[in-house]
Amino acid sequence: MLRFLFRRLLMLGPVLVGLTAIMFVIARLLPGDPVGLAAGPNATLAERAALAQEFGLDRPVWDQYLSYVAGLARGDLGRSLMTRRPVAEDIAIYLPATLELVLAAMALAIALGLPLGLLTALWQNRWPDRLGQVLAIGAISMPRFFLGLLLQLVFAIWLMWLPLGGQLPVVTLPPPRVTGLVTLDAALAGDWATLGAACRHLALPALALSLSPLAAILRMMRASAIEVMAQDYVTAARALGLPRRKILIKTIGRNAVSATLTVIGLYFGWLLGGTVLVETVFDWPGLGLYATRAILSQDMMPVIGVALVTGLIFVAVNLAVDLAYGLIDPRVRYE
Amino acid sequence: MTDPFRALNRRDLFLLAGAGVAGAALPGRLRAQAPRVLVIASGQDFPNLDPHTATGYAPAFFMRNVYDPLLRVSGNPPRPVPGLARSWDSSADGMTHEFHLDPAARFHSGAPVTAEDVVYSFARALRLAKGNSWMLRGILTPGGLEAVDPATVRMTLAAPFAAFLQVLPWFPVVEKAAVEAHLGEDDGQSWLMTQTAGSGPFALKQAQPGALYRFVRAPTAWQGGGGNLDGVIWRIAREGATERLLLQRGEINVALDLTSEDMDALEGAPGVVRVIQPEYRTFTIKMNTRRGPLADINMRRAISHALDYDALRDTAGYADLMVGPLPLGILGHDPDLAVPRHDPDAARAHLARTATPEGGISLKIVYSANLEQQRRYALVLLDSLRALNITLEIQPMRWPEMIAACASPDTLPDFFPVYQTANYGDPDNFAYAAYHSASNGNWQNPVFADPEVDRLIEAGRTETDIEARKAIYGDFQRKVVADAPDLFGVQERRKLGFRDAVQGHVFTPVAANAIECWPLSLV
Amino acid sequence: MTAGTRPPRPAARRPRALRRFGRNRLSLLGAGLVALVLALALFGPLLAPYPAHVAGGIDTAARFQPPSAAHPFGTNELGQDVLSLTLAGARASVLAGFSVVLIGGTTGILIGGIAGFLGGWIDEILMRLTDLMLIVPNLILAMTVAAVLGPGFQNMVLALALGWWPGYARLLRGEVLAARERPHVTAARAMGASQARVLVRHILPDCVSPVIVKMSLDMGFAILMVAGLGFIGIGVRPPVPEWGTMLATARAYMPDMWWVAMAPGLAIFVAVFGFNLLGDGLRDSLDPRGGR
Repeated sequence: MLRFLFRRLLMLGPVLVGLTAIMFVIARLLPGDPVGLAAGPNATLAERAALAQEFGLDRPVWDQYLSYVAGLARGDLGRSLMTRRPVAEDIAIYLPATLELVLAAMALAIALGLPLGLLTALWQNRWPDRLGQVLAIGAISMPRFFLGLLLQLVFAIWLMWLPLGGQLPVVTLPPPRVTGLVTLDAALAGDWATLGAACRHLALPALALSLSPLAAILRMMRASAIEVMAQDYVTAARALGLPRRKILIKTIGRNAVSATLTVIGLYFGWLLGGTVLVETVFDWPGLGLYATRAILSQDMMPVIGVALVTGLIFVAVNLAVDLAYGLIDPRVRYE
Repeated sequence: MTDPFRALNRRDLFLLAGAGVAGAALPGRLRAQAPRVLVIASGQDFPNLDPHTATGYAPAFFMRNVYDPLLRVSGNPPRPVPGLARSWDSSADGMTHEFHLDPAARFHSGAPVTAEDVVYSFARALRLAKGNSWMLRGILTPGGLEAVDPATVRMTLAAPFAAFLQVLPWFPVVEKAAVEAHLGEDDGQSWLMTQTAGSGPFALKQAQPGALYRFVRAPTAWQGGGGNLDGVIWRIAREGATERLLLQRGEINVALDLTSEDMDALEGAPGVVRVIQPEYRTFTIKMNTRRGPLADINMRRAISHALDYDALRDTAGYADLMVGPLPLGILGHDPDLAVPRHDPDAARAHLARTATPEGGISLKIVYSANLEQQRRYALVLLDSLRALNITLEIQPMRWPEMIAACASPDTLPDFFPVYQTANYGDPDNFAYAAYHSASNGNWQNPVFADPEVDRLIEAGRTETDIEARKAIYGDFQRKVVADAPDLFGVQERRKLGFRDAVQGHVFTPVAANAIECWPLSLV
Repeated sequence: MTAGTRPPRPAARRPRALRRFGRNRLSLLGAGLVALVLALALFGPLLAPYPAHVAGGIDTAARFQPPSAAHPFGTNELGQDVLSLTLAGARASVLAGFSVVLIGGTTGILIGGIAGFLGGWIDEILMRLTDLMLIVPNLILAMTVAAVLGPGFQNMVLALALGWWPGYARLLRGEVLAARERPHVTAARAMGASQARVLVRHILPDCVSPVIVKMSLDMGFAILMVAGLGFIGIGVRPPVPEWGTMLATARAYMPDMWWVAMAPGLAIFVAVFGFNLLGDGLRDSLDPRGGR
């Protein structure tokens, strides 16, 4: 297992380099005028040239790429052309908000998806099951930004139960930064008022984001539970007079965990890169908004940085999921 | 309704009270009271804090509140009022001006503001030649700046300029010693991009780019009078209706980017005060007078008569139709000017005199992709042109691409929409930027050039007698309308929303969304 | 040796698949919705009660009218009939989604087919590239490309297709590898059929079903992504109506003029829902072994 882990970690290097290469090629081969955008409407040609030189944009692409990769080794993700701030610092600010949102959405999806999946499996082909199937497909089909708008309309505007957007009320200072996750930091600081406010702000965007992983977990859980119930050994165990419930809980429990793990692995990276629209709707100060801002001004360093970080987290989460399979299921071998 | 100020926790109180001199000076019992923090929502970020290179309304807010200029403007119509200069004397010919600094003026560092700082700041702005420096280009040179004594600055103009005092608010004074300590290789630009060196009533306390900026009343605040604010928060609300909803819920005190639809929705909303005021901000659609079908004056006249002006105003909501090239109400504007109005017969008559009397051509307009209102105007134009059997291609663009398109008549599309906001309340601001041939290649006037119009504009900016100026601008307006280089559109009214707890706001029609916070109070 | 050992070819499986599909009421609902959406894409502008509005016509005297008999979904900021725009908007959304899936799918099929069939170092290189592209966040990639190229239908399709192929490459490579080992393929090869003939006549037909299933499932997702790009503001150019762009504009008028957002939002949902139901049904009947 250690060897497996070591080999997979070793693979991260090439993945990183490959990822930056792809993003670099795309970012640099496109037309567009990032320098003009950053220099502003009244900039002279000399000012543009100076800006291009300062950011190395006058050098050939391969040269820029090599210095970028060299910087990467030092944890340097370059500087933003618009704000002139180091990208790594910016990502450190915006990533926790997105992580918080994704974690909350996944938690919600798991907490609801597993039991619902199991229930619909037990009621297979009866009306609650069919309804569940339709709702699950509906949940996957719902545009998250439209759902977000509807949630805002109902809960924030008509009922006024929850705030409209943002991560905290404006006048509330964020709790002292430990993990960067506002809810967690507030809890650590024992600041219950801030924790409450943070949770209220988190509720709607997390709900909007959780719907499709929820549906996926539900369906996967249902499918594996049905599969298990049809297995020979379950039939055999039942023939031997073992109580059905005990069998189900034991065998299905294991399947539940692996189903969840698979979905987490698949969805984590996807959600990280897919919070953009929900963050836009809820004005959530995360990586998606940061990337959108950079993209609209063709400021490529932040974009490459965001793609890199989300890609890395995706790979890391999947590695963790693979390892977790082994811990849960002794039949899994690492090769 | 949530009251954000009651939602403050103890740590916030501590921070704000500790940072604000007002809080510190209060007796202990009072200090426990919630500090008065004005929360402003805006769609704009501060991309650059250097007052000599930044432009845009968010930086203007910064200049007005964190820095001090020699003079400020106030009232409607706007008049120069004291800033750092307590008083000033101008020579009869308007070529020499002497400013007497307020001895109380202090930078945030505690150092007094001296004539040296003023001279340094103007010289720096002119040297960098960015931001607002164009307003004094060719008017003031570094050689014309002189520190007579620590409290007196003398400025000798290189050319007469009727609106000289009106542009001074856009030249904030920085602390020479602080900037010189961080010059770097770019005259301190990198340093001032994120740091401040001002003497304004508020100091930047915390910056979260893209989210919010916290300001506190500067401990050194030397300005007299003023309101009771302990701090100001500039909150960035990116999306459309968010600002209005936040205002309605009382989560913010001031909303700066409200649309006409927002204003309608806010009508009668409890606790909300709407400010809807005419401002010197024009919307025109420039035509390519040098190339393509619109080089023909008959085509331009045909389109000027085909445009559905009422639809234009309807989509703009709270707006007034322009009458000619100058904004309504500005010095010299002629309200009785004869301008083209929607007239299908006249439009077809003019079209009949063009090379394509039956229409059948396709024209192109670009617009700034993030300006929703420009998209609407483009669609109104599309609808109007159908009456002439002309189709319109609409292309959204990013701002720099639009600027680049202005470089020459060959790259300029047939139609080019322009918002022009007054930086100073004088007709020269509009006439010179938008119709003088010296601005050709610039977005405010890509191609229009006419020697007679140039002559009138130059006469107008050097003449000091008011009546003579009015006459000159009268001729200017008639001459421009006769050439039909633009579709004169609308003047959208400035739309601001306040909570009724905010007191002391006086509307000034110059960059009115860059609120001056010093006079405001929260009750 | 030939006929007896062959497994049932997809063609032979199809009638049974059709029956299976027909038994599933949800799949039929999906097929119905898809047919409706396709009909709108083809004839939407003709069905629109206010065809002038679809071409960019405006009626500023009738701005922001709430739903009524004349305008079942109200009018927008320019007095245009929201229903007409939504009906006509099906064309841009569906056509863009279809183009993305078709271009992305074809590219992926080529890459995956070549990799699987040729094997060796070509396979290795292509598959590593595929793996990398799978890691790149799709939406961010598409937004980047679309933002630089500027708004416009082709640009939007290109931007999305660029990140759309890796799934197909992987799927096809797997199918080709599996097909290569099937008896009828080894037999054909043993009888001296050329490489190309083996690929076209014997391997590719086996891959059709899974590809069709994936494409139909992807259509819904592609429509969502198209709408997402429009929502961010990098979609089609005015006056072409498109659902995501309409929703983005309508958002500024919430909550008071909520109706402007309802029709385009529901339209996206219905279209995507239809394609997802259909895809699900197709998978169950055509490709029973393929789980998600």
